[in-house]
Amino acid sequence: MSNRNKKISILMHTVLAILSVLWLIPVFWLVLSSFRKEKGAYTSTLWPKAFTFDNYVKLFTDTRLFNFPKWFCNTLFVAVCSCIITTILTLMVAYVYSRLRFKSRKALMNISLVLGMFPGFMSMIAIYHFMKSIGLDQTLLALILVYSGGAALNYYIAKGFFDTIPISLDEAARLDGASRHVIFWKIILPNSKPIVVNTAINAFIAPWVDFIFVSVIMKDNYDKYTVAKGLFTMVDKANIFEYYTSFCAAAVLVSIPIVLLFIKLQKYYVSGVTAGASKG
Amino acid sequence: MIFLTFIYIIVEALLATFFFKFGFKYLSHFHTLGENAQGKQWNEALQIYERTTGDNSMLILLFSVFAIAACILFIWILVLLIRNIKQILKLEKEGKHIPTFKEILLELLDSKFHITLLAAPMTTLVLFTVLPIVFMILIAFTNFDANHQPPGELFTWTGLTNVIDIFLGNSTKTHTFFGILGWTFVWAILATFTNYIFGMLLAMMINHKLVKCKKLWRTLFMISVAIPQFVSLLLISRALEPAGAINLALMKIGLINAPLPFLTNPTLARVCVVVINMWIGIPYTMMTFTGVLLNIPEDLYESAQIDGATAFQRFTNITLPYMIFVTAPATITTFVTNINNFNVIYLLTGGGPFGLDYYQAGKTDLLVTWLYKLTVDKHDYALASTIGIFIFMIASTLSIAVYNRTGSVKKEDMFQ
Amino acid sequence: MKKKLLSIVMATAMVACMTGCGNNTESASAEKTEAVEVSEEDGQAETEEEAPDEGNPAEQSVIEGDGEMISLKIWGSQTDQDLLKELCEEFAKEHPENSWQFDYGVVGEADAQARYIEDPAAAADVFSYPDDQLTTLVQADALYEVTRNVDEVKSANAPGTIDAASYNGVLYGYPMTADNGYYLYYDKSVLSEEDVQTLDGILAAANAAGKQVHMDISNGWYLASFFIGNGCNISLDENGKQICDFNNEKGLAAAEAVRAFCNDPAFVTGDDSVLEGGIGDNICCGVSGPWVSASIKEKLGDNFGAAKLPTFTCNGEQVQMGSFLGCKVLGVNTQTQHPVEAMELAEYLTNEKSQARRFEVLGYGPSNINVSKSDAVSADIALKALADQSQFAVSQHVNGAYWTPAEAFGAELEGHSTNDLQAMLDQLVEQATAE
Repeated sequence: MSNRNKKISILMHTVLAILSVLWLIPVFWLVLSSFRKEKGAYTSTLWPKAFTFDNYVKLFTDTRLFNFPKWFCNTLFVAVCSCIITTILTLMVAYVYSRLRFKSRKALMNISLVLGMFPGFMSMIAIYHFMKSIGLDQTLLALILVYSGGAALNYYIAKGFFDTIPISLDEAARLDGASRHVIFWKIILPNSKPIVVNTAINAFIAPWVDFIFVSVIMKDNYDKYTVAKGLFTMVDKANIFEYYTSFCAAAVLVSIPIVLLFIKLQKYYVSGVTAGASKG
Repeated sequence: MIFLTFIYIIVEALLATFFFKFGFKYLSHFHTLGENAQGKQWNEALQIYERTTGDNSMLILLFSVFAIAACILFIWILVLLIRNIKQILKLEKEGKHIPTFKEILLELLDSKFHITLLAAPMTTLVLFTVLPIVFMILIAFTNFDANHQPPGELFTWTGLTNVIDIFLGNSTKTHTFFGILGWTFVWAILATFTNYIFGMLLAMMINHKLVKCKKLWRTLFMISVAIPQFVSLLLISRALEPAGAINLALMKIGLINAPLPFLTNPTLARVCVVVINMWIGIPYTMMTFTGVLLNIPEDLYESAQIDGATAFQRFTNITLPYMIFVTAPATITTFVTNINNFNVIYLLTGGGPFGLDYYQAGKTDLLVTWLYKLTVDKHDYALASTIGIFIFMIASTLSIAVYNRTGSVKKEDMFQ
Repeated sequence: MKKKLLSIVMATAMVACMTGCGNNTESASAEKTEAVEVSEEDGQAETEEEAPDEGNPAEQSVIEGDGEMISLKIWGSQTDQDLLKELCEEFAKEHPENSWQFDYGVVGEADAQARYIEDPAAAADVFSYPDDQLTTLVQADALYEVTRNVDEVKSANAPGTIDAASYNGVLYGYPMTADNGYYLYYDKSVLSEEDVQTLDGILAAANAAGKQVHMDISNGWYLASFFIGNGCNISLDENGKQICDFNNEKGLAAAEAVRAFCNDPAFVTGDDSVLEGGIGDNICCGVSGPWVSASIKEKLGDNFGAAKLPTFTCNGEQVQMGSFLGCKVLGVNTQTQHPVEAMELAEYLTNEKSQARRFEVLGYGPSNINVSKSDAVSADIALKALADQSQFAVSQHVNGAYWTPAEAFGAELEGHSTNDLQAMLDQLVEQATAE
């Protein structure tokens, strides 16, 4: 390595190190706060005076009002269901727009694209009263329906991916007498692992981070809250002093599975994001 | 096909039942949105003012929308039914084979497969997105606000009053609207391009041939993505407060004497949201660009090498144009998403610092957060809907125009 | 053959349509309401079944009695839940003529109005709200008038609280606490009783000790204390329209004082959690209400001090800071199925015994005259400070429009803005009094 290269290399590593520290400080701060013994959102010292594991323990023992385990199960249930439904619906729609040609295709694609632009929470009162009229208010099923109901709008990444699968594969299968139904399940889907994973991750994560729809649908029913809404309640004005450190602990617990998921499925994520773009 | 006719008829009957048993009583009030508010009557025995049930304008409007949708569906199926019967008659006249129900089902799995696949997604789409949106759009033409709340008060049609109020009135609302609109665009541009440029630089740095442990660096940056946004943003927002950790740290080091008003000074608050947004967004753009960089065809570089191009020339002539070209559609999508970027603004500053010259809004408010506050805190639904329609128009025009012009749509058959 | 079939099909279609449309008009509405009731019952039955399994006692309590099952839902803030449950169960024991099922929802007073308006039918039968939400709730016809035992209720509670719970002379709820106000908390190791008499004294002592003085100026509730103290008027006229004259000369003088306070090096702003986190360490005193009393007492221990708000310098004279004082009120939802029972419950939850218990357990300041005269209440440092402050306090007759511009005004001063105060005040008043 030449001298100049060495200098550049050291410089770049230093910059990266500084940047990654900047990126990790909030994460570190979160973990630190989750072990802090003093209550409250603010302390007069940066470093906690004492550490404790109680914030974590409290989440699982003091469940009378803030039932974290229950919220976690609710969220997991909703996330798994809506992940499955959303993935299937999205792939179906993407496949239709990518492979099948019919009269209203272009119009439908544009309408779907446009509908996705409407601020989602504008429709929440309407959705709440609709759910209520069919007896689904304050149920997890309503949440699943809300999260997967818009699946038809997020087709374009998956469609971009399907567009890159050579159509000759379809044609060969059609010559063998396969119907479109068979082609979808037997040819397209097995070739689309990255995009299936990508769609599934996104659908899986949505229920963990949304707090708006949950508060509209669940209202005062604490037991049916999901983690995000629950955590949000922990830090509202009346509770923040008492529960801030527990909130941090809960956030750490929620983040761990997502970190693992991301690290494990990183490559699918990248190929998903670039699928629609990579062919220009 | 005969069996299909039966199915159509049953569906028609169900729709008609729904309409007359449920929808009609709402639809009949649709033109006024209700005449009688909840009333009261003195009950001597119980010693209370008993309430009599009145009309609820909101439910009338909502279920009228559903009833109208049912009517449209009814007519549509009626058309299908008539067409179906005509075809049966025609086929019979010509003495041709009338397809059996089984054959129709098989067709749905093959030549009409799109109907099968789209049926479920479109149904949920109509129920959970389209009809609620129609409802919200209609609200923009009423006076549904904090002073007209059911069950005590009715609201009614007011035509274009809200639109005129916002766009043409010389009021605080107009001033607020255009002020926020301007900032929304500034924000969307800044947020998109800071992330774009710095994400690209970061990706290139990590992918540079002199950098070791590429995967480790990427993972380090991705860890922050895993914390739910509302948690990290809340944490950062608390840290930026006058008594928060960042001010505390800066004062400990001795850089400043008094806390900096990160979120109370309008300019500083705007800088803060853009910077924090970089913290949120750059890991994502970094990952995207990593994917793109790895996909640049090697032969492009090889030919450049032969021509004797310098590293800088290789970058400006090959890498940069390629990346810009490839990521153009994604960038446009990001831009539109940023116009509606609710989380970062709402959780970080709540739109604040509030401005005295603004109507219920702050200096970092985007149209979408203003709208949220108007709905949830102020119950000013009519005004919020009007703004909502406007956002919707900007965003959809932009995305349709751009999306249909990008290469990936024009050349969607390229690889097929 | 096929033609025949076709005609049969057509006939069935007609019949189906006819039956579909025919029998609807008479029975439609009746069936509809039935259906709704059934589904509601289903929902409740579900929760009933689930509740025991989950072992979640705070959510619901069922007390068997002789008569009909009366189910009521009660909203209260999170800290009130245990007491609420205890008192409701006592109420049920005193009324064995019915069976009772109580559902408890955690909706704090501050959110009551917003949650109510989202869906009145799903709101609690009995819920507590701060008196400043009264106007909006009455306009939405959310509350039953207090008409049963109204004289007893009126005579048992302090006149100020009855006034606060009344709209155009009609009482719309049962006063529960009279402590929705604020005063000064201080650290006795830093500030003396003499220091806390004046804002200047506090700031001088705090600066000398290198400590900070907390007040949430960017919150219209606290900000108003300067204006009210200097004799400005914020109230409602008989049509519910906001009156606010903060932009007159007195208001300008008060605003100058606020600016001077914000520019003092010892000044620190932030919400309650800043005060709770910093007091005893870098903060020596702060302005808040009884709800932070327990946590501040815990941090300060023997150094815990509370006093009325100090005086501030205004045009060279010392002026006593004013404040808002409100009460929390229990209201009965007009949508309830059991108005009489809900009223009995609300009355029970706010009677002398319940208020005494509420003070004992939670330390809330009672609205009941007898309880507030009791020795225990008089001995409470925080409530004494509140009582001392209350003579300078006004009822909180404020519409929703005031809060946002007031916050904007406070935030500008906190950010050391040098804009013209008169212009800012004019904007504040214009927005606060807008329709």
